[in-house]
Amino acid sequence: MAEPRYWDIRHVEGAVTHVDIDNGVVESAGTSFFNRALLRVLGEHGWGVLTIENYASCSEKEIRDYIGRALQLARVTEEDVVLADAPSGMLPVPPLAEDPRDVSLEEKCGLLAGIEAAARLPGIASTRGRYTEDEGRVHFRDSSGNEYEYALCRSGFSVLAVARRGELMQMGRESEHTLSGLNLRHRQDMGRTAAERALALLDARPAKGGRMRALLDPELAGVFAHEAIGHASEGDLVKEGASIIKGRIGERIGNEILNIVDDPTLPEFGFEPVDAEGVAVARTEIIRNGVLSSYLHDRQTLAAVGDGIAGHARAVPGDVPVVRMSNTYIENGDASFDELLEACGTGILLAGSRGGQVDPGRGVFQFNAEYGYIVENGELGAMVRDVSLSGEILSTLHAIVLCGNDRKMHQGYCGKAGQSVPVSDGAPHVLLEEAVVGGSGA
Amino acid sequence: MHKGHDRDDVIDRILAKGADLCDEVEVFFTEGESVSAELKRSIVGEAHAARSWGIGIRTIRDGRIGASSTNDPSRWEDCLDAAIAGGTLATPQEWHGLPGPVTLSGSVPVFDPNITVAIEPAREMLRGLLAGAASWPVDVIGGSAGLSRSSVAIANSAGVHYTSERTGVGVSLEAIAGTSTGYEFDRSRFLDIDPFRVGEQAAFFAARSAGGGDIATGSYDVILSPVAVAQLLGNVLVPALSGRNVHAGRSFLAGKLGEQVLGETISVVDDPFARGMGSTLFDAEGVPTRRLAFIEEGVLSSYAYDLRTAYRYSEKTTASAVRGGAGGSPSIGIHNLLIEGPRHDIADERAVYAHDLVGAHTANPVTGDFSVELSNAFWMEGGDYAEPIRKAMLAGNVFSMFGAVDGLGRESRVVGSMILPPVRFKSMQVIGT
Repeated sequence: MAEPRYWDIRHVEGAVTHVDIDNGVVESAGTSFFNRALLRVLGEHGWGVLTIENYASCSEKEIRDYIGRALQLARVTEEDVVLADAPSGMLPVPPLAEDPRDVSLEEKCGLLAGIEAAARLPGIASTRGRYTEDEGRVHFRDSSGNEYEYALCRSGFSVLAVARRGELMQMGRESEHTLSGLNLRHRQDMGRTAAERALALLDARPAKGGRMRALLDPELAGVFAHEAIGHASEGDLVKEGASIIKGRIGERIGNEILNIVDDPTLPEFGFEPVDAEGVAVARTEIIRNGVLSSYLHDRQTLAAVGDGIAGHARAVPGDVPVVRMSNTYIENGDASFDELLEACGTGILLAGSRGGQVDPGRGVFQFNAEYGYIVENGELGAMVRDVSLSGEILSTLHAIVLCGNDRKMHQGYCGKAGQSVPVSDGAPHVLLEEAVVGGSGA
Repeated sequence: MHKGHDRDDVIDRILAKGADLCDEVEVFFTEGESVSAELKRSIVGEAHAARSWGIGIRTIRDGRIGASSTNDPSRWEDCLDAAIAGGTLATPQEWHGLPGPVTLSGSVPVFDPNITVAIEPAREMLRGLLAGAASWPVDVIGGSAGLSRSSVAIANSAGVHYTSERTGVGVSLEAIAGTSTGYEFDRSRFLDIDPFRVGEQAAFFAARSAGGGDIATGSYDVILSPVAVAQLLGNVLVPALSGRNVHAGRSFLAGKLGEQVLGETISVVDDPFARGMGSTLFDAEGVPTRRLAFIEEGVLSSYAYDLRTAYRYSEKTTASAVRGGAGGSPSIGIHNLLIEGPRHDIADERAVYAHDLVGAHTANPVTGDFSVELSNAFWMEGGDYAEPIRKAMLAGNVFSMFGAVDGLGRESRVVGSMILPPVRFKSMQVIGT
């Protein structure tokens, strides 16, 4: 049988622990186990890909058999895949301040219950707290002799409060996820904040849709960076013709004050010590002074497209590596919050995020704020609810006219190709001209 | 396939060991194989094959419910121990036992003996997708074709042991014309999907959406495709029907049983026996399924319950348990959700049509308020697509818009665990440019 041009195996074994507390009742708490490996083999043309069960107990002969099977599969492929050379190497995993695995499930339940109970303010009809902890031991090896092993433990919680007054209901939600250790202690403030937001939203009006100046808070502006440019810069989309910014390296696509970065080396929620195909991770400046500088790449898309570095491949256990964002952010400018408000004049402040989505080929994105405030004459006015923002990638980046100096990162999960990976997004407060705001208010 | 870990053997071991350690035990077992071939632009870039194996164990002791899951056959004992350990922390609840066995009558359409899980037929379906896409002047971005077989079993210490063999086939294609994109897909449990048609539709949307005009902000009649309707219902209506959300005070529909909640010609039904992706004779905790009317001619008639929620609130289970809950436990869901009502030619009079939505998951699940971007939006008139619309947002409230349904289209399609027609709505707020 023919020999493969390249192969790699990524095996992840670990456990997921969760606690779910609903209105003071521990609905469920417990641990589940997973053990998955993925083998990729490069045949004469393209990839043969196999999920392997019980990889840990596989003999070398069994692995050779799997490689043979994957090579058979690859025979239907036509694409002549080329892998760019890329530096190997692994960063140390950031230390855990308090290892969640050293804390009993019972204690975690108690801590979460405290946060959830703190959300039970007068007027709150429903509260829910959830904790998740995901520990995985990753083992990577490839046909070039690279081999890596590391373990990561991500954990975090969310708290939801629903306020009710007669027929009227509103919700508030807070969450924090981390890879630097247990974050459940002394966090009752998060429960209260969620509850206070839900109560305040009972008196908020639906936003009136239309074009206006919009000030985005750091969480929402981070989602903006992720949806408005992050996805479109992913090398696989560029390679397949699905990104509106393909062929635009060196072009001014945004205001010159705008710098947007993806950095998997930051010890934030999207950190990776080494990427999913064994490549050393490094910071990529997607936009520098408004100019498109780099795409995000894996080895294959780097070879096919150029302009950037590999090291951005990520994968959930047992699935194929795909070009993904990690920690994506807009860099600080120098405006204070008051200066931003004054520059906004009349418009809207949008805050918090219920998520977003982009069609990178069409260049149109949408994302939703949890709440907002009318801005009048540089001052915050009435609270509004259910407000979203949409835009076109190529025009909206020019519309960012001012960046604050208060960047913060927020954690979340990003879905692509059926895989959901942990990411963080961040930004300072940013001011957007001519934003298309969606709302049902008259 | 799995030496020493075949289905009945591992189930029997878990039930036997569990019987010594707790009051009741339940095992949910899945095993399957799948292949898929992936297009990168218009050529095949990847060929995948996978086998899957998984168990979810639930234990009950003194009204304390524990659950755990694993895909590692060698860890079934750890999994059982973890379920019991988790259960000791759960708040005890009213509990009247797992269901006992009954004779399941009839069958559901979930298995096609003609489906072969091999790469060649997947490759052949890609050819069909590409041939269809060639009907319009577009570039193919990517596509996928896959085939699968799976085996599902639910067994418990009360004597239930049901199994179901299932097959699946799915295709999708994404195309672009300039900066106009189109995406179409289809999934079935039978070899009855038409890859050519799916490719042709994706290319049609990409080609025909190019060169769209602006629309002024205002109030318009809007027709949403089954795909768009499924996104709004899945993010808002389905969670609002969950008995758990109702009793936890998080559902817009709480306290509204017997009330008019949708337009008076509209019914919403979960039909596990329909020909869809969620068809099944038993739910995820071994309760025989039945046709469940949630909303009858606009009047709310039932919520969805699983066993634990039903026992806790003195209700009856509606056999609505599905797998996918945290840590391998069942949760409340739907099998095949249908919208019923009089069918019309809904596209005769001019309206804004949208094939897809961008950002439907950002809808407010508690209140039903949403504002989303439209994908592949057109003016529709005389039953056909007219001018494309370049960019528009749609804002509203899922409950009030379904209260103002102007008509259901004639043809339904399967979208995930729903079977839906296109729906026409009166006077929706559209934010243009």
